[in-house]
Amino acid sequence: MPVSPARADHDPVKPSSGPTTPIPVLRCLSGLVLTGCLLGCLSGFLMGCYAVRPSQGGGNVSAQEARRCAPRDIALPAGYRIEVVANGLTFPTAVVFDDNGGLYVVEGGYAYGEEWDQPGLVRVAKVAGRNTFVPIAVGDSNGPWTGVTYAPGEDGIPGHGSFFLAEGGQLRGGRILRIGMDGRSQPLVEGLPSYGDHHTNGPVLGPDGMLYFGQGTATNSGVVGEDSHRSGWLARNRTFHDTPCQDISLSGVNYRTPDPFSPGTRRETVETGGFRPFGSKSTAGQIIKGEIPCNGSIMRVSRKGGKPELVAWGFRNPFAMTFAPDGRFFAIDNGYDDRGSRPVWGAGELLWEVQKGTWYGWPDYSGSKSLDHAEFTPPHGERPQRLLDKGPGPWLPIHTLKASPPPAVTSQDGPPVPAAVLPVHASADGLDFSRSDAFGYRGQAFVAEFGDMAPSVGKVLEPVGFKVVRVDIQRGVAEDFAVNGKGAGPASRLRTGGLERPVSLRFNPDGSSLYVVDFGVLAVSDQGPRPERRTGVIWRIWKEKK
Amino acid sequence: MKMRRGFSWLRLSAMALTLLLLPACSGRRSEPLRGKLDVTDPKVSHGQMIYMEKCDKCHPSGDGGLGPALNNKPLPGFLIAFQARHGLGAMPSFAGDALSKSDLEDLADYLKALRLN
Repeated sequence: MPVSPARADHDPVKPSSGPTTPIPVLRCLSGLVLTGCLLGCLSGFLMGCYAVRPSQGGGNVSAQEARRCAPRDIALPAGYRIEVVANGLTFPTAVVFDDNGGLYVVEGGYAYGEEWDQPGLVRVAKVAGRNTFVPIAVGDSNGPWTGVTYAPGEDGIPGHGSFFLAEGGQLRGGRILRIGMDGRSQPLVEGLPSYGDHHTNGPVLGPDGMLYFGQGTATNSGVVGEDSHRSGWLARNRTFHDTPCQDISLSGVNYRTPDPFSPGTRRETVETGGFRPFGSKSTAGQIIKGEIPCNGSIMRVSRKGGKPELVAWGFRNPFAMTFAPDGRFFAIDNGYDDRGSRPVWGAGELLWEVQKGTWYGWPDYSGSKSLDHAEFTPPHGERPQRLLDKGPGPWLPIHTLKASPPPAVTSQDGPPVPAAVLPVHASADGLDFSRSDAFGYRGQAFVAEFGDMAPSVGKVLEPVGFKVVRVDIQRGVAEDFAVNGKGAGPASRLRTGGLERPVSLRFNPDGSSLYVVDFGVLAVSDQGPRPERRTGVIWRIWKEKK
Repeated sequence: MKMRRGFSWLRLSAMALTLLLLPACSGRRSEPLRGKLDVTDPKVSHGQMIYMEKCDKCHPSGDGGLGPALNNKPLPGFLIAFQARHGLGAMPSFAGDALSKSDLEDLADYLKALRLN
């Protein structure tokens, strides 16, 4: 609103009106106040009032419509195209190619929200010009099947190889399975500690011929709590908790929570310590014996089976891992959530270069930063206290999987610096490297971001993830690659035919196309996740020839 | 003199109105939507790396996420530096040992370049 000259004439700070002495002081004061107000307003607008703003997670979808797929709704860098390869899948988690170039899809058989289905491996075959699914193998209710790799047969004849799958093991423990082309299944490893929040992941074939696989943690940050009961698994397995990979010494910190098992309407409370069963306290200096298999780890096993060996630990949920074209080993690790007895705020998703014999910080660090830093304290919450009285440090002399210098270590017992930090709650789940100039961005990592599960994992002001990003690992810089054009969030929220929840990705054998596995619709509310069957899609992205 | 004062109030009002309205605008500036960001300037390039290490996890590519969007707020460089150095509300502060003065300048240069993309 313009200031009228008449009002300006009566302005008390106008030099020509009133006595001269207080005017400079008043002007100075008003200037300071004005500047202060402006700074306050700017800062206020910049940050908003975090506490009163509602969560705006991408899964906050009320009405569900039948999923449609429209490649034009997905934005890509100039020169790239995208198409639908297959749709109507239920909870797909991975794709793989055999040595004839055949495409196979894993349907997980389980989704958060305690939605069970039969996991399976299907071949995508073109029949009368249309892609159809040919069943290869099915599992039972011990999903989710989270990943797959293919290894050629020993005779070298194409089509004589085997698939190796990770069975999440929510009900009977995780397994690594070998599945022949005839669909016959043989467990290579069983009884992995997968009954909790996170599962058995991977596997990938290493340059040494071994199978490398991930094992997620039982909990968000080391303490079994009410959130474990809400997600369903604590009622099934009341004694389950995280198992460390080497002996650790506890700080004795315990967390008090309402006891969901207490009878009647009045909830009693219990105290639980880190790496302990629900309701079991820890004491300062208490030693928890390490075991293998263990949680938060990457292990390896022979393709013929046997006892798994520990590669590295201190991860939270190493969902995907791969060997880069230069031979280095990378894993993507889901960051902490703002939930449960020991909530952690502002912890990003981490891309690690994995070195054998290294501890990567869970449950007391995010990247190389200790959780007792103010950065990780939930607004109006308590600062997470350390569960370990000291970091376990390397248990073997650090030597790398490839001859290269070990990563920087910030302190004597602290974890290394990650190769990249990705957005909080993005749920970075898929990982592969471009190996071809035909596709471009050779040597860069591509990451599938499943998207936030707010409010179950904490609050976000805008949807996070729901896209594919590429990472220049030399610079630690991540940039968008495939995003929904209309806005942030999944297609179901935007009411478009774009990306929903990219959960994994893989380049085809010649590296010219990137296949993106889209898990499908998974809405999230205060009541928890609500996955939708038959909404999964496989997308293919390629670069147009000039 | 009157003109200058009137102009000043007008400008302040316009800035306040802009700040009120801008959060409603999209802050999305990434390559698939706006083309590749030019990071040939070494300061912008370094600022991008600093941003990825310190800021991107809450403000992905300058867009909203755990924290609010930054791309749609026309803050001058000194206020960007002020905000990063001192934090506010839920946002942590970055002291001199975490972000040097030159880091802050490069960070502001990167954010301004991103905003113009």
